[in-house]
Amino acid sequence: MTIDAPRPLETTRPTFATVAEELLDDVYGYLLYLTKNWAVAEDLTGETFEAAFKKWRRFDPGRGTPRAWLLAIARSTALDWFRADARRRKREERAGAAERSAELATFGEGFSAELAESLQSLSAGEREVVALRIVLDLDGEETARLLGISVTAVSTRLSRALSKLEERMRDHDAVA
Amino acid sequence: MTPSPELIHELRASRPSAPADLRARVREIASEQPTRAPRASWRFPVRRGMLVAVPAAAALAFASAGVLGLARSDSPEALRQDALEKSTLQAAVPETTGSGADAGRAQTQPAPLTTDDRAQRVSATLTVEVKDANAVSHAAQSALDLTRSLGGYVVASSVATGEEGSASITVRVPVAKVQDAIAGLSDLGRLVSQQVTTDDLQQNLDELARRESVVRTQIARIRARIESETLDAQTEAVLRARLQTLRTELTSIRQGLAATNAEARMSTIQLAVVTPGALGAIAPPSRIDRTIDEALNVLAWEGVVALGLLIVLAPFALVGFAAWLGRRFYRRNEEERLLAT
Repeated sequence: MTIDAPRPLETTRPTFATVAEELLDDVYGYLLYLTKNWAVAEDLTGETFEAAFKKWRRFDPGRGTPRAWLLAIARSTALDWFRADARRRKREERAGAAERSAELATFGEGFSAELAESLQSLSAGEREVVALRIVLDLDGEETARLLGISVTAVSTRLSRALSKLEERMRDHDAVA
Repeated sequence: MTPSPELIHELRASRPSAPADLRARVREIASEQPTRAPRASWRFPVRRGMLVAVPAAAALAFASAGVLGLARSDSPEALRQDALEKSTLQAAVPETTGSGADAGRAQTQPAPLTTDDRAQRVSATLTVEVKDANAVSHAAQSALDLTRSLGGYVVASSVATGEEGSASITVRVPVAKVQDAIAGLSDLGRLVSQQVTTDDLQQNLDELARRESVVRTQIARIRARIESETLDAQTEAVLRARLQTLRTELTSIRQGLAATNAEARMSTIQLAVVTPGALGAIAPPSRIDRTIDEALNVLAWEGVVALGLLIVLAPFALVGFAAWLGRRFYRRNEEERLLAT
């Protein structure tokens, strides 16, 4: 942090295009784990980068990495989707819908059937911490800052999620 | 429980990649260049600001108190206050006041007190400072000797020795000698204060004398009637009763005359002998002392104002903090609820 006057950072700050190209897979993967739906993840990724592009001028490299900044925007976008989805479910329940709209709960290509099925058994919060700590390899402090919880809570949540994953994977292997 | 390496490996190997159409879409978004060059956002560092602002505010408060204290220390108001305090402190030691016709004042020489042709009650209070406790005893003895030499007598005497010795003596001397007594007692040390009160008794005496003359005339007239006239029993009885009443009154008048004359004959002097430690010398405050006093006054007022602001703003700050906490708690719970599905 500095209290110096703002100054142009054309030479020290990457361009948005560079950052977007570099971090697109990370953002998409995070949103896929969170929503367990590749179509929703694609939409949310697009919304994330649109919002990020508008806020790019306010990004301060001194306060964090571009990846953490983008993931925070992605998380906010995803939570808005979860809220909207929750409102939609309530409306359907009130309307007494005989059939709920089918959820395309698929992780898409790249995931084994066992892994995809095991991941679906986790809650969104558990998948989130697996995505951040294992898949994207963020450290505990960065993850805790992004989620707004303590480092200890991150470790606890990750441990619980991985235990459940392993158990599901074992059950799947046993059935197979 | 440690997760298996195979699971970790599988998770990382399954790391998703954005599909081609999504990548194209994001490139399209990123290709819209902004019209202005990007500027680094600047946010005021609250913590660092507080670390600077709080000491700066305290320094400013002290500096303003010092400047105002220095400016006010020589103001007429400050000097007047200083003089008032000095006079108040000095008034704790009795100053000379007069309630009678002739009032004295605190000085080294005795003031003229009595009028020879009138009866007056004279009382005086003197405070004399001697150098140490030993001198107190010596001064007290000298006071008693002087009193006796002037034809007076001691009413009460109290002498205290120790580190800060003092003596309190009450004597009566003939009014004709009161000036000599005051002069002599004042010379026992440094006269700190002197109070002399003179009350005129002549008017009272004249009234009593006039009344005595009237009563004696009435008595004589009644006696003459009783002795020279032939009176009936009833009239004689009335006259004799009246005569007895007048005689009783005459006795009372004569007693009053005697007491007033006695009061006018002897004056009462109360002498206090003190040492410098007992009196407590008070040095006048210097410019620095006045500056510090004024600066402390300013600081006190600044503290009052700050406390007042704190009291007024505290409820709003508490409400705001509670609202912030509540919102944060609600959002945290909402997120956990949403992500628990």
